[in-house]
Amino acid sequence: MALLSAGCASLTPPPGRGMNLRYTPSEAAGPALAEGPSEDSPRPLVSPPPSADSVAGGAVPRDAAEPAWQSAIAAHLAFLRAVGDVSGSTRRISGELSRLRASRAGIAGRHADLFIPSVDYGVQQLQWIDTELAAATRLSNTASEVDDPDMQLALLRLSGPRLQSSLLGSLLLAVWLDFLNLANVVLDQCPYYNVERLFRKMRQLQEVIEPAMTALSSLEPGQVEAAAADLPALIGHLTSEFAATREAVRVAAQQFEKALKVKELIEMLTTASAMKMALPRLLPPAAPATLGVGLVMGSNGVMIGTRIVVSAEWVETMRRLVQAGVISLPAVSAAVRIHAGQVMMAQSHDELPRGVREALGDGPEVRSMRVTGRAGAGMAEPPQHHVLPREFREWFEKRGFIGDMSIDQFCVKMEQASHQALHGGGNWRLGRMWPGEWNQMIMKALRDAETVAGRMLTPNAILKIVAREMRRHNIPVNFTPWRGP
Amino acid sequence: MSEDHSWEGNWKVRLYERIHERGYDSLTAFAEARPTLPLVELAQELGGDDVNAVQVFSGLVAEAERSNRLTRLVRGQLVRELWESLPNGWPSVLDDEARLEVAIALGSWSAFTPVTHEERARQVMAALLATPPPPGWRPLGPDDELLLTLLPDEEV
Repeated sequence: MALLSAGCASLTPPPGRGMNLRYTPSEAAGPALAEGPSEDSPRPLVSPPPSADSVAGGAVPRDAAEPAWQSAIAAHLAFLRAVGDVSGSTRRISGELSRLRASRAGIAGRHADLFIPSVDYGVQQLQWIDTELAAATRLSNTASEVDDPDMQLALLRLSGPRLQSSLLGSLLLAVWLDFLNLANVVLDQCPYYNVERLFRKMRQLQEVIEPAMTALSSLEPGQVEAAAADLPALIGHLTSEFAATREAVRVAAQQFEKALKVKELIEMLTTASAMKMALPRLLPPAAPATLGVGLVMGSNGVMIGTRIVVSAEWVETMRRLVQAGVISLPAVSAAVRIHAGQVMMAQSHDELPRGVREALGDGPEVRSMRVTGRAGAGMAEPPQHHVLPREFREWFEKRGFIGDMSIDQFCVKMEQASHQALHGGGNWRLGRMWPGEWNQMIMKALRDAETVAGRMLTPNAILKIVAREMRRHNIPVNFTPWRGP
Repeated sequence: MSEDHSWEGNWKVRLYERIHERGYDSLTAFAEARPTLPLVELAQELGGDDVNAVQVFSGLVAEAERSNRLTRLVRGQLVRELWESLPNGWPSVLDDEARLEVAIALGSWSAFTPVTHEERARQVMAALLATPPPPGWRPLGPDDELLLTLLPDEEV
């Protein structure tokens, strides 16, 4: 499996193919994974699942024709590509933010005290996105060292929320960057434009963006899902704000400048983010695009007419991740809609055309995964159990289960009621287990293995034993981070 | 792994229905006809989604207790663990990596050893390390000569 990270580079599609999810198509965003050696971090498994019945976290659909290890490798490569794409965006954004922060003639000039906080707000968002990307990368490096395919996928799913939030957060941050650039040009080139008006607008827009950014950075599944669903509409709103501000600048400029200069100025007020797809090329606000119309899955990717919205490679990457349960279909759909520029009148919960959804991995298994992943409305979530027993937290910490890999990451949901209803009795000593029994059993296996090994077990070895026990108990190898106290 | 239904309904009855459908009188007979198959695969043969390995093993323990053949079952389980973890047999060189694989096999075995046999299981583990079996050793069942030496039947 060590080959995996080394091998991924050649499998990454070459930069510059069509317009994919990067904001600048020409950007060479290879997987930015070379972040140093993967730490020997441990992955945790958690505490005690009672052997289980209806485990809510659900089934992982798998193409029956594809061996488990092959799915795991494909999902891992897709994960690396997706991380690479997002890292490419954040690197570009980072460079732009630095440039803006030093723009003495513009945003960091005479009114720096008013506008630098807006730049810094962008820097702060970049920080959480980069932090989550780094953590996702660490987890996926760990996954590559695990030779149990189920466990490998489980680790990728654990890091999925980080990747997903980073992906959506970087889309929104790119939009913010466009506004910062707009402010920069206005401050630099349009002394006649009212500074206070510009300042108020920036403040107001930041307040519009903030709740979504906060929700995305929380990694809390419900909040992220809601933010993802609203993101196309939010970006639609921001796009019309951008158009309106640009128009106001144009009108102001016309009173002071020659026509030629105005034209030049407006050309400087362009966008690099996904807004450019929604923003009319003409000056007046565009007629809103109609949702879903014309989006089709073609051999080059998702198309509108002859325009590639997202590349076929990107679609394939996302399909793998959606089917492996690493990221959610609604999040990916939101990203596609944003890239399509079909955000203006978005009824935020509308779906993409069926062909596009299917190309992105939608299917009955994925839908059922979503349904079982959350308890239905009004139903309590099934209780969580640590697979790596909490009483032995220190024992696991010494073996590397810390930080992103702490034992709190390795929990499973399990219905208590059905569990209690079915207690194996009599001579059936190894009947349905209680959490305490699971703890005893797993610690016995680990301790005896350690005695035999004559050394501390590696995280990989621990996870291998745990994965085996989970399978013996028919507990899906699928974790959710601990949400309890 | 698909959704688990193994604890729904009367799983003991279900287990024996499956055994009988396959022409066996007992779980033990079914299992001994597949002496090297990992426990999870035994369960899959019996149903997959609605039968799990723990149930199969607990049924085997119950039968073995009744027939006083628990030690034999413990040996048989070690055979399954070795085939699952060491498909190429006992490693020829017990370097760090190989030793970890052996450790995983034996640790898993230990987790599925009834309390009555815990101590003896530890002795077997120690003996296997102190005097390693020949490279490539891969017992075919509970009657393997070396296994019988390490863990002889002593039930009355």
